[in-house]
Amino acid sequence: MATVRGCNLPDDLFYNIDNNVWARREADGTLTVGMTAYACSLAGEIVSYTPKKAGKEIEQNKSVSTVESGKWVGPVKAPVTGEVIAINPDVAAKPGTINADPYGSGWLVKMKPTDWAGQSGSLITGAAVATGFDAKMTADGFAGC
Amino acid sequence: MAVVAVELIVTSHFPPVWRLLDTGVRRAAENMALNRALLEARQSDVAPNTIRFLGFEPSALLGFHQSAEQELDLDYCAANGVTVQRRITGGGAIYMDADQLGWELYVDRRALGLAEMSQIAEKICTAAATGLQQLGVNAQFRPRNDIEVEGRKLSGTGGAFDGEALMYQGTLLLRFDVEKMLRVLRIPAEKLADKAIASARDRVTSLAVLLDVVPERVAIIATLSKALANAFGVSLQAGELNAAEIGLYEAALKEIDHPDWVYGVSKPATDRPTVTAQRKFAGGTLRVNVAYDLPQQRLRQVWFSGDVFISPRRTLMDLESRLRDVLIGRMPVTVEDFFAERQVDALGITPQNIVELIQAALVDVPVI
Repeated sequence: MATVRGCNLPDDLFYNIDNNVWARREADGTLTVGMTAYACSLAGEIVSYTPKKAGKEIEQNKSVSTVESGKWVGPVKAPVTGEVIAINPDVAAKPGTINADPYGSGWLVKMKPTDWAGQSGSLITGAAVATGFDAKMTADGFAGC
Repeated sequence: MAVVAVELIVTSHFPPVWRLLDTGVRRAAENMALNRALLEARQSDVAPNTIRFLGFEPSALLGFHQSAEQELDLDYCAANGVTVQRRITGGGAIYMDADQLGWELYVDRRALGLAEMSQIAEKICTAAATGLQQLGVNAQFRPRNDIEVEGRKLSGTGGAFDGEALMYQGTLLLRFDVEKMLRVLRIPAEKLADKAIASARDRVTSLAVLLDVVPERVAIIATLSKALANAFGVSLQAGELNAAEIGLYEAALKEIDHPDWVYGVSKPATDRPTVTAQRKFAGGTLRVNVAYDLPQQRLRQVWFSGDVFISPRRTLMDLESRLRDVLIGRMPVTVEDFFAERQVDALGITPQNIVELIQAALVDVPVI
């Protein structure tokens, strides 16, 4: 578990720090994908969520979902290439779930990665999570969650 | 080393240059495609930071996540030459025509020195309000996204981002055709006929109402762009779209100028009921209209009307703004906090009365 400037950033997850997105590799090899607590703090309360449809193939760093907060709209980008295999009906009903539980019930999509072995090396995990996010927060001028 | 030092000194003495772009009056689809193209170009670093001004042929613009069926009177739009389009930014549906001027910023987030989206919106809106003050109106930023004059909205705004690139846009009302707006938008007070028009005039204003003479478009652009440039410590240079942007624009237009884009968000109108309630108090009658998001159990828009005495007069308009998009479960504490923060003289009406009035409006709405 890592906490950086008050933001919870579990170090057992895989992150694309620039895109502020996490992935968890499940036992069956699929991925659960979501926004970081830091991304939620920057955005404020999420009021709308439009994921890509299940069955759609998404390339790494392309949008898997669009979210809206305080009239801002932006993409959440796929940490690796893969097929969307599930979207989150609880988040569709209550997008604020993303803010309330970003690593649990607030997940955005589940994906079947095309080449996890080849692409996961670009993601950050373990001890590098805290230092990586601290550097990003410094660059962004962010005080804390 | 000496060369590096000289470069640093030179850089520090000359403000960065942003591009000033005026794309004139265009169809809504073209303006939306330019939104996407310019944001993508900024994200790919093939275009500079830019301030853009734009105009619209008559059009109804949905927020990115909104559905046309829920927000617009589509029959009226079709019969009156009002084109329906969907923005890439958030927020609510608006009506645009030659009576509004659009203003937009395309910037790298790092140029603003702010991380949180709400702070970025506040900084840009405050800068735009400063420019409007120089036109002679007492414009102020009102959280979260409005620029208002004495409680009446003069400019609504919204944004989109992609990576480090931001696009933030606002509309400035030069004149205001209340009736047309009410007819295009399915707003809660539409059934109130004359009262709806009076009610809309209480909430929205325009340069034509505020000033003896509406300044020329070119003068407004000069004043607003200068204020925005000053706020961000940059200078401006007039420019045109570059080849990369034109390529991105043509690709975006193919997708956006199509019914699949405009009507891609489909939600039944029954998921967005409009409900109402009214109560008599010692100081008069207070009525509330609520546009309610049933699946999300969220207030989308709240409108107060009636003849109650409340001072300052803008209090209820500010409360409407505060209640936008609030979950119904958080409505009571939001109302209580709102009144706790300010000095209000409301003859015989308590915050609890207002909470109960909103709850009364929603009493027949099913809980799902």
